[in-house]
Amino acid sequence: MTETLDLDVHLAAIAAGDATAFGRWLAGAEPVVRRSLRSFAARVDVEAVVQETLLRAWQVAPRVEPDGRPNGLLRLALRAGRNLAIDESRRAGAREVQLQGGEGEASVSSLEEGSPSLPDPLLRRVIAICWEKLPPQPQIALRARLDAAGAEPDATSAARCGMRLNTFLQNVARARKHLLACLDSQGVPIDVGLSPGGAP
Amino acid sequence: MKTTPQERAQLIEEVVSAHRASDPRGALRPSPAFADLDEEGRREAFERTLEARAIEAALDPEGLSTTARLLLRRLRAGG
Repeated sequence: MTETLDLDVHLAAIAAGDATAFGRWLAGAEPVVRRSLRSFAARVDVEAVVQETLLRAWQVAPRVEPDGRPNGLLRLALRAGRNLAIDESRRAGAREVQLQGGEGEASVSSLEEGSPSLPDPLLRRVIAICWEKLPPQPQIALRARLDAAGAEPDATSAARCGMRLNTFLQNVARARKHLLACLDSQGVPIDVGLSPGGAP
Repeated sequence: MKTTPQERAQLIEEVVSAHRASDPRGALRPSPAFADLDEEGRREAFERTLEARAIEAALDPEGLSTTARLLLRRLRAGG
């Protein structure tokens, strides 16, 4: 049985305004928060909700009181993310917002389904090998998206690569497919968490 | 709106990006491409985003996705 990784080890530093510590927290928390919003994916742009949620976690961290259980800040973020997603669903005009249990229950359930974990060293080693095997154009496009890190629209990254936007987007998608296939062939598939009940 | 498979793939890839514009109050706006996708396309964009962020984190020396890098950049810039 795997021991639960407690991201609250970073809480004191985060509360003191240490962005690097927040980065360590994000590395473990972001995938859990994102997966917890899967049921909203057809109604709200989850990426925007995830970003707002994680920023709120940074803002509320100084006020989080430990309750003796691990991952207090993450549990709070899960609750905040769910509330944000519900608000966004209503704003988007969705008539039915399906709630599966109370907010607290949902947060606990999300943690059970996908506890935070540290980056897998084997995955990191193998993906570095797979990266070198990427065809040139997909590698250039994905490198540009990684370097931009969301700070600029894809059209700007495409122009920097000397590609048209649709070519750039095709190359990013190709790069991802190549990497996933390469990792799979090496027996190190990427685990993104199961879709509850199978494919939607 | 009826889209071709190629247009649909492009819309999905646009949604996968971590870039989101913000409104004048600083609130993040949904990707415009999200509104042009049907429910199935939106779910697919979500699954592709999970894969993309996992790949990004695996390639990053600190295990950070582009979403995490973007947030840290904003925090360090004071906004």
